[in-house]
Amino acid sequence: MEEEAWQDYKGKKYSKPLPLKGIRVLEVCTLILGPSGPGFLAMMGAEVIKCEIPPMGDTCRDMTPFGYLFKGNGPVFTHTNPNKYWIGLDLHKPEAKRVFLELAANSDIVEENLRPGVMEGWDVGYRQIKEINPGIIYIAKNGFGQWGKYAKENRPSNDGASQGFSGYAWMSSFPGQPPLKSRIYPCDDYGGLMGEMAVLAALHYRKRTGQGQYIELSQSENIMRAMSWVWPYQQITGKTAMPAGNRDVSICPADTFYSADDTFVAIAAPAPDEFKGLCTAMGRPELASDPRFKDHLTRLREDNATEILKIIADWARTRTAEEIEKMGEKHGFAASRVYTVKDVANDWHFQERGFITEVDDPLLGQYHSYEFPVMMAKTPPRVKRSVRPVGFDNEYVMTHYLGKSQDEIKQLYQCGALGKWADVPGRRPPAGWDGKAGIIMPEGDKEKE
Amino acid sequence: MDKEQAWSDWIKERDDPRIAHTKPEALDDITVLDLSYKSFAGCCCSSMLAEFGAKVIRIEPPEGDFIRSCTPYGMLHKGEGLNYLTEGRNKHHITLNLKETEGREILKKLVAKADVLIETFKPGVMDEWGIGYEDLKKINPKLIFASITAYGQFGPMSRSQMPDYDNIAQARSGIQAGTGEVMPDGKGYDECPWAVPTKAGPWIAWTQSATFMAVGIMAALYWRWTTGEGQALDVSTAEAYARFDDYAALWYEEAGVVAERFGSLDIAAWLYCFAPTKDGAVFLGGLRVEMWQAFADMMGKWDEWGAAGWTNLTIFTEKEQQLKWAPLVFAETRKYTNDELVAMSIEYSQKGRLAPITPVVAPVCSPQEAMEDANWRERGMFTPVKDPVYGEVIVAQAQHKMTKTPIRTSWVCQPVGYDNERIYKEYMGFEPSKLKKLKKAGII
Repeated sequence: MEEEAWQDYKGKKYSKPLPLKGIRVLEVCTLILGPSGPGFLAMMGAEVIKCEIPPMGDTCRDMTPFGYLFKGNGPVFTHTNPNKYWIGLDLHKPEAKRVFLELAANSDIVEENLRPGVMEGWDVGYRQIKEINPGIIYIAKNGFGQWGKYAKENRPSNDGASQGFSGYAWMSSFPGQPPLKSRIYPCDDYGGLMGEMAVLAALHYRKRTGQGQYIELSQSENIMRAMSWVWPYQQITGKTAMPAGNRDVSICPADTFYSADDTFVAIAAPAPDEFKGLCTAMGRPELASDPRFKDHLTRLREDNATEILKIIADWARTRTAEEIEKMGEKHGFAASRVYTVKDVANDWHFQERGFITEVDDPLLGQYHSYEFPVMMAKTPPRVKRSVRPVGFDNEYVMTHYLGKSQDEIKQLYQCGALGKWADVPGRRPPAGWDGKAGIIMPEGDKEKE
Repeated sequence: MDKEQAWSDWIKERDDPRIAHTKPEALDDITVLDLSYKSFAGCCCSSMLAEFGAKVIRIEPPEGDFIRSCTPYGMLHKGEGLNYLTEGRNKHHITLNLKETEGREILKKLVAKADVLIETFKPGVMDEWGIGYEDLKKINPKLIFASITAYGQFGPMSRSQMPDYDNIAQARSGIQAGTGEVMPDGKGYDECPWAVPTKAGPWIAWTQSATFMAVGIMAALYWRWTTGEGQALDVSTAEAYARFDDYAALWYEEAGVVAERFGSLDIAAWLYCFAPTKDGAVFLGGLRVEMWQAFADMMGKWDEWGAAGWTNLTIFTEKEQQLKWAPLVFAETRKYTNDELVAMSIEYSQKGRLAPITPVVAPVCSPQEAMEDANWRERGMFTPVKDPVYGEVIVAQAQHKMTKTPIRTSWVCQPVGYDNERIYKEYMGFEPSKLKKLKKAGII
């Protein structure tokens, strides 16, 4: 039945509309917490104009796995900033502030992730923008929000700081080991995503009432929101919530096990039929009715959980991860090898769904990326355009959005309000650029999208 | 413009969560049916909408959702699991047996009055019951039908019989494999069972799948304003979590390198690590070369380390350089406590040679320390909710501060079927006698 909605989703994706078409976002963001949110909106069709301070632009351009650049760009940067329009605007200059306010007057959403008060110090803050555009939705994301002790101390922040501050890292390590930092930037990405939840709710409210508003968000507070049981547990028991390695202390059994082929496999089987299936697969059907394991709440108790997990661990070491996956399918419990990124990239299922998507970009060429992970039957989000050097779309944005003449644009360059990239890695066009590829003609391509 | 008032005071006066209850709610025109089962992702998704004022009718089978029993160490608070206690917020809990025809007919009538439906059954189950998207859109073409599952609604694995759990999604994402301590030379799994692919403790794959879906629902609602059309949405939890892997896919596809465990250093950044201290650990961050210089200066190593000559961070990000510099950095941080290092960084931002530039220094806290931190308390994160059933409960809340339509947590949770009477009366016109009959027949 539901095949109808999802039939040839991947193939038909590019001929369908986008849900946020017509929404305009002005971004003054760096690193990941800031730009990821507008990136999500851009994948859903919003027009996002990313302002960077020329010539160096977003610090994220420097984030390179062990120094690796993809055609001159940092992979974190390409992943975080799809489908945007790029301007180099030096907000320290009065002429640039005017340009910014002109853009803001014609935007629906402004997003920034600078420290509190910086935008206002530049005379382009919320209080200035709402005077010229009362419907504006303005979101500021940073480490500590706009007020409170840490904001007042003007502390800088990063994802790793939030992993520390929130207790997230503490909860994500093995007992007896020091807290472990995640390989990814969960507080940044989650904060970016949470920010858009508020932005889109505000947009809904504006549709109803015409009113805009201001939203602030702290990276640490957002990840705390994702830590569920930890807070009432501490309140009720008076004890500190403790880490448990790969074991899920709220679901039993759920853990990662070492298997016979020297690899790791995650298993979860808490519901009665699932647990029974696992016991059967292990050749120990009697365990399902063992008084220690008979129901989920009993099984979750520390002593019982330790015992059942030991039994499963001993069994898992005698089977390969693949065998265990197959048994999961057969007996209805959950099992998955711990995928490396190579496994993800080569996974047929992810490819068939178009989650692994091929970007065909006029400037950076073809490469694979992860798609926006909400598949929408009628309005499929998509990555279609990659990142650009600092100020790459200046001319397009100045003419298309603001109707500036060539003379006016020239003056903006002369006074330093507009600028382009520095001739350094991560900022400039890829080697061998023909001076044309990727440039959007003011009257051209955009309408065809 | 009223610029005479300092920005932080001006905005606090307008977005402090303490005044949230005096303001309107952004989504109070939206009705959501949450049918999720055995999925915290489903519950969390409807919470995101309920926090903004959507009317969420949480539909459970008569015995309640299994997810209520997913609680740390089997612990209950007034009969409730602690995870569910945090994610039942603002929802109206009713029971309905979808395995019975009469239950499905009731659902269809509710669907006619709803904007959004959230479900987490294995793909195909709702169709078998005759209440899949294709059936329900005939009743309500404006319906947004949101499914969150392990492998999604289509694709080769979509008919998998395996259920969806957070630790499985984390394992499937490629992220767990690359997170964890590096196995010490000459050691193996049995000696160091902690030097393995390590998942995040919190249910992050479920929580962020939920948030992605909530964002997708909002976009679909926006599209519906102009077209009048609803649609089906599909999230796979493994994909949603994998999307947070910011560089590994491209690095592997284009350079052939698989991101491997690198402990609490960072493959893609320097200065960016947890560093041991006298009494724990701090996070050190400095993603601009000036911040790395400021750190060296702050530790009194400006000359010895040659910081004046550093021009960019690319070289430092290389693996060999990180392995060379990390021990030098750690030797310095071990001389101080967390508090001392934090204070040094704040002082440096005022008086240092590169001020106001200063490195990021943050304590690596336990969640108990986080919960006691006056900063987050002042900002309303841990204000206890006065719940009519569960008493005063601390859940994380107020993660967004907003001037016009702030989020709020009006109640934390409800027992199974708590609002049957009220909701069935309001939406179906059922009187208590009718409810009694339905209950007896096992329909509610």
